[in-house]
Amino acid sequence: MLDSVMPFFTLAQSSAPGPFETVTLNHYLFVSAAMFALGVIGFLTRRNLIIMFLCTELMFQAAGIAMIAFARYWLNADGQTFVIFVLTVAAAEAALALALVVLLFRKRETLSAEAWGELKG
Amino acid sequence: MHPVILYALLALGAVGVALAMPRRTLNVQLIGGLIAAVAGGGAVLALTLAGLDALPNLHFYAFAFIALASALRMITHPRPVYAALYFILTILASAGLYLILSAEFMAFALIIIYAGAILITYLFVIMLATQAPSEERLDVLSDYDAEARSPVLATIVGFVLLGALTSMIFSGASSLPSVDVEAAAARDEAQLALLPRRIEEGLRKADLLEDDETLIMDPEDAYRVLIEIEPVPGGEDRRVVFVDERSGPDRAIELPADLRIRNVETLAFNFLNAHPGTIEIAGIILMMAMLGAVVLSRKQVQLDEEAKAEQTAALARMAEGGGPDA
Repeated sequence: MLDSVMPFFTLAQSSAPGPFETVTLNHYLFVSAAMFALGVIGFLTRRNLIIMFLCTELMFQAAGIAMIAFARYWLNADGQTFVIFVLTVAAAEAALALALVVLLFRKRETLSAEAWGELKG
Repeated sequence: MHPVILYALLALGAVGVALAMPRRTLNVQLIGGLIAAVAGGGAVLALTLAGLDALPNLHFYAFAFIALASALRMITHPRPVYAALYFILTILASAGLYLILSAEFMAFALIIIYAGAILITYLFVIMLATQAPSEERLDVLSDYDAEARSPVLATIVGFVLLGALTSMIFSGASSLPSVDVEAAAARDEAQLALLPRRIEEGLRKADLLEDDETLIMDPEDAYRVLIEIEPVPGGEDRRVVFVDERSGPDRAIELPADLRIRNVETLAFNFLNAHPGTIEIAGIILMMAMLGAVVLSRKQVQLDEEAKAEQTAALARMAEGGGPDA
């Protein structure tokens, strides 16, 4: 019974991603890590407040991919349940951060992060 | 069907779309659109006929490439609106990866919530919080968009992080304990047994139930009939056993092979049964965010002295140069 289900059921385990034969958990983790690193780079380099928040969303997304891959690997839905929280937190962050950004923009008429360089604390 | 046919069709579709793009000199939009429509329709038809004899690994590489490439374009594109649109592309590719990982519900939730709601909010704010371009400087980017802040250093930091994560992954993931597939399958069967309506529907579709038979016979005593799913000894099949609490097992039917628990049902059991209270926590997070946003946006904000002076100077410059109405 299980043999017929296995290929759809498990994610093969291996030490490093091989060529095209099988996609392993490591493949997904690498995609997730690369996406997270891109998010970090974007957050550090961009000077536009909105883009900086977009980059945090990119990092959320990377974490989501890792969690879904682990959920598949362990064959349970815990990771998928947690991704619902990622979506919730992303929505909450978008609402609050964008309200803040609009406030800051009204104050200084610029989106540059450096306009707020004198903030202390 | 040979996959080459499909790829030829897709290439034809690409040519059509390229022709359909708006162009100054030669306008062949209609022809391009027709070619793209024919190719797309042919591809869909071919896929349906071939029963999707798919290449799952290729799908992974395609989605991963799209996700990473558009993420890169997102953090490098100088215009915020384009960055947000490339992020939507990243989201769509991630949803494809979720589908490969058989998380169908989360894939579509991701598209609806992220690409449909959150990113549109971002687009609104980008359009709200941008200076109106003056007449003669339509294409000029703001300073803070045109130039990155210490790009070399940030890239080094990011890739050192990526290198550390990667080496951790490759040394760590191979030492993970192996997964108990049989326990997972047994758990799925137990969850399926909690869904008598699903089983009844599946059995009826496979013509395994007589027309006048139902799984829950007595509406006032709905749980009189218990359902157990057990493997057939020595065989590959499963059968469903209906246990009447008073008279013991009275009938067993072999389940059709495709009657299995679905992703949404697994997720629902996990969400509501295994982790009760998650919906409340998510609701509280969202409500706090909503309250915060309302409080923040009600505040009246005065323009800074500095910014005001800058704005008047810009207006004066514009008036001097003829102004937009001149």
